[in-house]
Amino acid sequence: MKPSTFDSFPFSFVGPTLNRRHVLAGAGAGALAVLAPRRAGAVLSIDINQGNIQPMPIALPDFVAGTPGEAEMARNVTSVITADLQRSGLFAPINPQAYIEKITNTDAVPRFADWRAINAQALATGRLTRQGDGRLKVEFRLWDVFAGQQLDGKQYFTSPDNWRRIAHIIADAIYQTLTGEKGYFDSRIVFVDETGPKRQRIKRLAIMDQDGFGVRYLTRGDELVLTPRFNPSTQEITYMAYGQGQPKVYLLNIETGQREIVGNFPGMSFAPRFSPDGQKVIMSLQQGPNANLFVMDLRSKQTTRLTDTPAIDTAPCYSPDGKYICFESDRGGSQQIYVMPANGGPATRISFGQGRHAGPVWSPRGDYIAFTGLIGSQFAIGVLKPDGSGERILTEGFHNEGPTFAPNGRVIMFFRDLGPGPFLYTIDITGRNELKVPTPSYASDPAWSPLLS
Amino acid sequence: MQMRTASAISTGLHVGVLLWATLSFTGETFHVTPAQSLPVDLVSEKQFSEMTKGIKEAKKPTEKPKPLVEKKADTVKPVEDLKAKVTEKQEVKATAQKAPETPPEPKPDPIAQKIKQQPDQKEAKAQPTPLPPKRPHIPQQPKFNADKIAALLDKRDPTRQAATGAELNSAPSLGTAMGNAAQLSQSELDALRARLMALWNPPVGIQDPQDYVIRIRIQLDRTGRLVSPPRVLSTGHGQLYDTARDSAVRAVFRGQPFDMLKPDHYDVWKDIEVTFDPRDMFRG
Repeated sequence: MKPSTFDSFPFSFVGPTLNRRHVLAGAGAGALAVLAPRRAGAVLSIDINQGNIQPMPIALPDFVAGTPGEAEMARNVTSVITADLQRSGLFAPINPQAYIEKITNTDAVPRFADWRAINAQALATGRLTRQGDGRLKVEFRLWDVFAGQQLDGKQYFTSPDNWRRIAHIIADAIYQTLTGEKGYFDSRIVFVDETGPKRQRIKRLAIMDQDGFGVRYLTRGDELVLTPRFNPSTQEITYMAYGQGQPKVYLLNIETGQREIVGNFPGMSFAPRFSPDGQKVIMSLQQGPNANLFVMDLRSKQTTRLTDTPAIDTAPCYSPDGKYICFESDRGGSQQIYVMPANGGPATRISFGQGRHAGPVWSPRGDYIAFTGLIGSQFAIGVLKPDGSGERILTEGFHNEGPTFAPNGRVIMFFRDLGPGPFLYTIDITGRNELKVPTPSYASDPAWSPLLS
Repeated sequence: MQMRTASAISTGLHVGVLLWATLSFTGETFHVTPAQSLPVDLVSEKQFSEMTKGIKEAKKPTEKPKPLVEKKADTVKPVEDLKAKVTEKQEVKATAQKAPETPPEPKPDPIAQKIKQQPDQKEAKAQPTPLPPKRPHIPQQPKFNADKIAALLDKRDPTRQAATGAELNSAPSLGTAMGNAAQLSQSELDALRARLMALWNPPVGIQDPQDYVIRIRIQLDRTGRLVSPPRVLSTGHGQLYDTARDSAVRAVFRGQPFDMLKPDHYDVWKDIEVTFDPRDMFRG
């Protein structure tokens, strides 16, 4: 299915490439000939070392329905794909009113000239048909309009009430082909839903699709819930809750609703998070005025102490390979981010930017650690590299907190409270494309699931 | 009394020192060398292209056109001329001249030869008026080379390269047969690069940009349109590489027609190798 014209081939004669040194020399000396260093008859070489990153214009005509009865669902699938791609900030879906060609047969090659005329760079066409056994067949093709090639083509079978997921999966496939990275649309968010007046807030655990649809409540709201976290491998979450007694860490199966307490510790346990393999939970245990990091194996129930300092060590998070832990500690005087081996050992401080740094989260890609920055009275969301370099603030303001990475590590979700109550927002790791996530009411403490498929 | 003598001696000595000081220290006026003002012309890039382009009606130079040279080459080239070998006539001449003059020298030194030739002429002229020559002529090239000193002090390498040659020549020439300046102007090249830069939308997720340098060979017709689909010369693997490659190919497709390239210079731009290099954009 891959375009064959693009395939590389060995080519014996290659003119000398123009490197930056030559360009500088040319600019310095004013010698024009350097920029075009070849004689007539040979290849003229030019270097393009700056691009123009912008959302890619894509045309997404409504999927073709097998029968008129499926037209509405076909339209809905298309609109979910369009919304996913648009929200990513990397695509600019073209207004359907501009389309010249009307796609009626998805097996025929589209008239690329018609799509070039409206400046579409990619075109996704699809068809939705109900099978004899009641299942839904959804197929799509992705075209490179300028090269005139098919880039991708797939078909899926599912039950009709799964149409939304199929749409997200197709959006992921388009995203992956056109950006070169895995998508994140077929994923869910668990968060704390907040209702009622500020002093008597009812906090319930809720789960929804990453685009805000399909909200479902997981707890009844008779206790306070905080910091829900996804198990990377199963449909399970861990969180902290407290009703009458002390705050404790719990495990909850999303599908069955079954709940259990993690460990039986004398003091308060908090800030839980799963290991990348889902076999362990790492958390903080309160011991007098101090807090230390512990890890519990979920099978053997064996608990291991990782830190032993007269300080508050909390918010631990594994690196995606499971070899390291980043956490927050005030052992140096103020809250900062430290990194240590996952089995224990010396911890190294990595955050040296302005203000305090709290709540570190390691990206699933491993390239960044997101954190909540406390600068003066402002709460910011920032990222830094695991070696402490490249610290960058993505957004700041009165109160921003609780970053969580999308499965592909390109987008961060967090909550922002402007006074009356918190809402969820997403932002690209480059600091662009900040968007509010639709939720039924106030929402905080989001946790992004891994890809479902 | 003693006090008096003492103060008298003291006064005398002081006066003496002061007198000596006023007489011996001669004030010299502070010299300020007047800074030479350099005439500077502001020339637009287009004018510059035109200036260096050369004029068709210009007189054909009698001698070989010299390329622009800012810096002498470090190593002195031997006299032997590659072109001389091709044509028989010149070779005969060259050997005829060389043979009597420099038989024992291990290395023929062009500069030394020139210097040797010069005094002969001058002496011949100078004979009627018997003035002694101003400077003794050193037959060998001095080891102390001012150009080399300058090269030693120049710590700017390797980011800067001057146009080098055997001898300095600051005058832009009519253009040489090897140069492209006369054929494709800077503004045309810049316009071509600017268009491709504007249209190249590389994938944002690049982490090791050196793995995603894409070289593409394109062939154009006289209207600036692709004769055939662009050919990708570089190789790589993975979804991100495919996306980077497709983005570069797409930029070339979208850039058509490359109407900034003038048909007069078609021979120069009919075949172009474009390198899409994301390293400057994604430095991590």
